[in-house]
Amino acid sequence: MITREDVENIALLSKLFVPEEELDGLTRSMQEIIDFADAINNAPTSGEEFDNINNLSNVFREDEVIPSYPVTEILKNAPEQAEDHFLVRNRE
Amino acid sequence: MTYELVSGFETHIELSTKTKIFCGCTTQFGGEPNTHCCPVCIGLPGTLPVLNKEVVRFAIKAGLAVHGRIADVAKMDRKNYCYPDLAKAYQISQLYAPLIIGGYIELSNGRRIRLHHIHIEEDAGKLIHRHGDTYVDYNRGGVPLIEIVSEPDIRSVDEAKEYVEKLQQVMRWVGISDCKMQEGSMRCDVNISVRPKGTEAFGTRTEIKNMNSITNIARAMEYEYERQVDLIESGGKVIQETLRFDDATGTTSSMRSKEDAHDYRYFRDPDLVTIHVPREEVEALRAEMPELPSEKFERYTEDYGIPEKDAALLTKYRSISEYFDSAIEGVKSPKTVSNFIIGQIFRRVETEADKEIFDVAVKPAQLNELVKLLDSGKIRNNLAKSTLEKMLDSGKGALEFISESDMGGVDEAALLELCKAAVEGNPKAVEDYKNGKEKAIKALVGNVMKNSRGKADARAAEEKIAELIRNA
Repeated sequence: MITREDVENIALLSKLFVPEEELDGLTRSMQEIIDFADAINNAPTSGEEFDNINNLSNVFREDEVIPSYPVTEILKNAPEQAEDHFLVRNRE
Repeated sequence: MTYELVSGFETHIELSTKTKIFCGCTTQFGGEPNTHCCPVCIGLPGTLPVLNKEVVRFAIKAGLAVHGRIADVAKMDRKNYCYPDLAKAYQISQLYAPLIIGGYIELSNGRRIRLHHIHIEEDAGKLIHRHGDTYVDYNRGGVPLIEIVSEPDIRSVDEAKEYVEKLQQVMRWVGISDCKMQEGSMRCDVNISVRPKGTEAFGTRTEIKNMNSITNIARAMEYEYERQVDLIESGGKVIQETLRFDDATGTTSSMRSKEDAHDYRYFRDPDLVTIHVPREEVEALRAEMPELPSEKFERYTEDYGIPEKDAALLTKYRSISEYFDSAIEGVKSPKTVSNFIIGQIFRRVETEADKEIFDVAVKPAQLNELVKLLDSGKIRNNLAKSTLEKMLDSGKGALEFISESDMGGVDEAALLELCKAAVEGNPKAVEDYKNGKEKAIKALVGNVMKNSRGKADARAAEEKIAELIRNA
């Protein structure tokens, strides 16, 4: 059972601000999401341990260097940048 | 009341693979900011991490080096937290099915510090705090780490220091990391609590984050131990919290506020498939493992009778022990070889960095040849010593400095003649000696050594000279 406190706590951990008037709606939505996941969890299976849809394991890459991206490309989507760094402003 | 310290360590070690754990960016230390990055390691949506095979191999080697069990099945999990050092707001790590389970580090007092597990994970980016803002460099983000989690088995600051040193030694030894604490390739989180001596129950622990030198680990632990004992003695309670250590003041202070209380909401990373570790691969890696420092230490002390202190110096770095092993081949007394290395050779290799490389002018085979001349009685110890100095100066072999006539030493009759000549030729030194100046005899011995070109046995000469003067 999802409570308003769960939603408040998750918002806090995710550094999101949720206005008071949206709390009830979000609590209901989240409950629906969890119920949907539970429905999948409760679906009948053969009982074999299910790992992934393609039954893949041991997908690796070799330890070989691939050239990195230019710093301009890396910073292209940064909301703010300075001196070739991502810049995170202090909001307090 | 007397208290006992209880401590466990979480040690992060950067693996020296060429590339990051989930992408092909270089792991080279430093570099211009954000130049060792790609869409995978800056966590752009739609990218797919693929595990570096070498990371798994290195972690297995680490596990074997500490007697851990290699899991048959391992999985990657997401550890969620919102902080700018992680672009994705989660770190890919292992919680439910780590690669290595158990293991231990044995200390010189015979106690074993048990390990809970070792897992693989990605490193976070570097944050630079300036003018209240934060500058983020993701070059280090995605560099592979192993985290070695110990049980709370450490009982003193000395044990903690030795634990860290031994981990550092063995991980360098097997070649999976350079473990440079000053560059951050080895960092420790120290959990610490106190309890009345003789009791079983653990006290409330605090965690000191990100310690990057053994000296600071010791300082922080001493401070934190005192702080907790004082708190309990004065009727207070230790609060479970995360602390930072201030190098300048030598004190600890609280790092996180309450609203940041961890809830990492770990879950299986759906981007990364299960790791099945074939037993043949583990056995192949086990076969590749070098003889470990603890095994060498035992061989040196038990089979060769080398004192523990010396054996510890010989096994501090793999290169020194390999030098020693190759120099003792076929010699009668490995202890002589050890003495030459720790005495005369170490004097020429002063820094720890040089000791770790141990590139000495005299090659192991050359030292071996010199010691064999000594073993067979062809030369005396003092000639061997002075010859070693010349060899160290020049890089040339022993036979460049020892002639046929040097070999065979000086017989009894010849020694007597040499001593007589020294006594007769130096009346002043003889007079001084007679007047109680014992050191004066050294000049006479020196004369004998000079005239025998280093072949005479100095101790025998000293005895003979003293006898001559007494009987004069």
